[in-house]
Amino acid sequence: MSAASPLLVVENLEAGYGPINVLHRLSLTVHVGEIVTIIGANGAGKTTTLNTICGLVKARTGRIVFNGHDLTQLPPHNIVRLGLAQSPEGRKIFPRLTVRENLEMGAYTRTDPEGVAADIQKWYKMFPILEKRKSQLGGLLSGGEQQMLAIARALMARPKLLLLDEPSLGLAPQVVVQIFAVIQELNRQGVSVLLVEQNARMALKIAHRGYVLETGRITGTDRADLLLHDPRIRQAYLGE
Amino acid sequence: MFELLAIHPAVAELGQFLILGLVLGSLYALIAIGYTMVYGIIELINFAHGDLFMLGSFLALGVAIGLGVLTADAEVAWVILTIVLMLILTPLFCACLNVTVDRIIYRPLRKSPKLTVIVSAIGVSFIFMNIGLFWRGATPVKFPDLIADTNLIEGTGFRFTWKDAMVVGITVPAMIALTVLVKFTTLGKAMRATAQNPLAAQLMGINVNRVISATFAIGGALAGIASVVYGLYIKSVDYQMGFQNGLYAFTAAVLGGVGNIPGAVLGGLVIGVVGELGKAYLGAKWSEALIFGILIIILLFRPTGLLGARTREKV
Ligand SMILES: Nc1ncnc2c1ncn2[C@@H]1O[C@H](COP(=O)(O)OP(=O)(O)O)[C@@H](O)[C@H]1O
Ligand SMILES: [Mg+2]
Repeated sequence: MSAASPLLVVENLEAGYGPINVLHRLSLTVHVGEIVTIIGANGAGKTTTLNTICGLVKARTGRIVFNGHDLTQLPPHNIVRLGLAQSPEGRKIFPRLTVRENLEMGAYTRTDPEGVAADIQKWYKMFPILEKRKSQLGGLLSGGEQQMLAIARALMARPKLLLLDEPSLGLAPQVVVQIFAVIQELNRQGVSVLLVEQNARMALKIAHRGYVLETGRITGTDRADLLLHDPRIRQAYLGE
Repeated sequence: MFELLAIHPAVAELGQFLILGLVLGSLYALIAIGYTMVYGIIELINFAHGDLFMLGSFLALGVAIGLGVLTADAEVAWVILTIVLMLILTPLFCACLNVTVDRIIYRPLRKSPKLTVIVSAIGVSFIFMNIGLFWRGATPVKFPDLIADTNLIEGTGFRFTWKDAMVVGITVPAMIALTVLVKFTTLGKAMRATAQNPLAAQLMGINVNRVISATFAIGGALAGIASVVYGLYIKSVDYQMGFQNGLYAFTAAVLGGVGNIPGAVLGGLVIGVVGELGKAYLGAKWSEALIFGILIIILLFRPTGLLGARTREKV
């Protein structure tokens, strides 16, 4: 894996809100083809990390390089164009757009209408429930359906790297299993993934590598299968 | 045929007030759309919107003065040219002005508390009013009466004049164009997406500031169109006309469900009709009490307005 080329490199990142720094000299790397997970307790700074990479939160110091482009000073709408999409925490579906319109918004930066139409069909195949509900308003979907829509919507940008923030949050266990199977399948199709989860067990099961984030600092990183068997991790994050 | 169904004078009168109410209502609707779209996207009650409408009517008057077309006796071709030029220049002017105000005043305050922005909108409202006062003075100015009052439905017992036709012929296409834009174009979808979740909109690659500018431009243009129609219909403009019409339009937006475009149109029509009927049957001094009374009653039973959003976001 480490032989692969780095897709996303974050170096010594500091970011936060108002006077407070949330992230402290945070560094991480995602290679092409990888699923990398960040595990950490509620409030550790996982969402802040993803939002800083996406440009929603400004980096104060440090560097974010994606596929050779320095993202650090770019506004969010230009970052999407470089091939980086996020399915945000709480899904943030457009409640009064239809399912299909939500998917179209995911393709906002694209200029190939035929390709967009083909991709919509492609994700309908992968998420048949979205096709069934294509004319319904996004706000009327169930939580699991909204999560699928949020992922499919992010994929409509044809990202090289997909950022997923707590895709299992609030979902029934069978739905969680389904979502994680989808993430693995997407990764097999060539999408690199940076996955943020409180459900550390599930995340470490499908990830190649993991980072442990504690109050804004990376306190450990290793292959995911090794983290899964690390006694400290098991005690702190797997409830043992 | 019509002679057989002789219309009772009271019915004819009622019909007349209804027509007048609908005509004024469609003007309120055009202005209300500008309030509701801006509110929908940045949750700002743009108090300057009515005064923008006033400045638009002053510019339209300037077009007529500039071309020297001041009465309906002017040659038809010139009258049409004047009206067409008004309908191009005024919306353009109002759109640019609205976008500029957002750009230099509201945008720097985007992250400030709501109250700060509202107070600055009130400030802009006063600045506009003062510009209007300097521009055309404190007394009402006659707006050229360019469209004939010939009754188009002579013999029916009702009156529907060229002027009424002008209002319908301009406001209805404007509203249809807006609906198509918001519903079907990429810009329209981006506007709706930004209104519903600005954070997610940014993640889609939408340049939110540009969408907000487009919203101010469209709302301003509609106010500009309304100001031309108002001038031609009412035939008198003054620097304070933005206040009352703006207040009615804002009320229309709230009545329809603020943030909701069809709601603004419906609210505008309701207020136009209720206002006219109130004036006709209760007297002018009761008309406003009636309008706001109805507003309060409707909001008591439907706090989100007539067509306000009913879908809840699932978290
Ligand atoms: N918009 C915000 N404004 C101020 N503080 C915030 C904001 N979002 C998050 N925080 C704070 O930043 C810290 C990290 O939050 P977050 O990144 O959401 O953590 P996680 O996603 O790991 O739960 C928390 O202390 C939280 O209270
Ligand atoms: Mg989070």
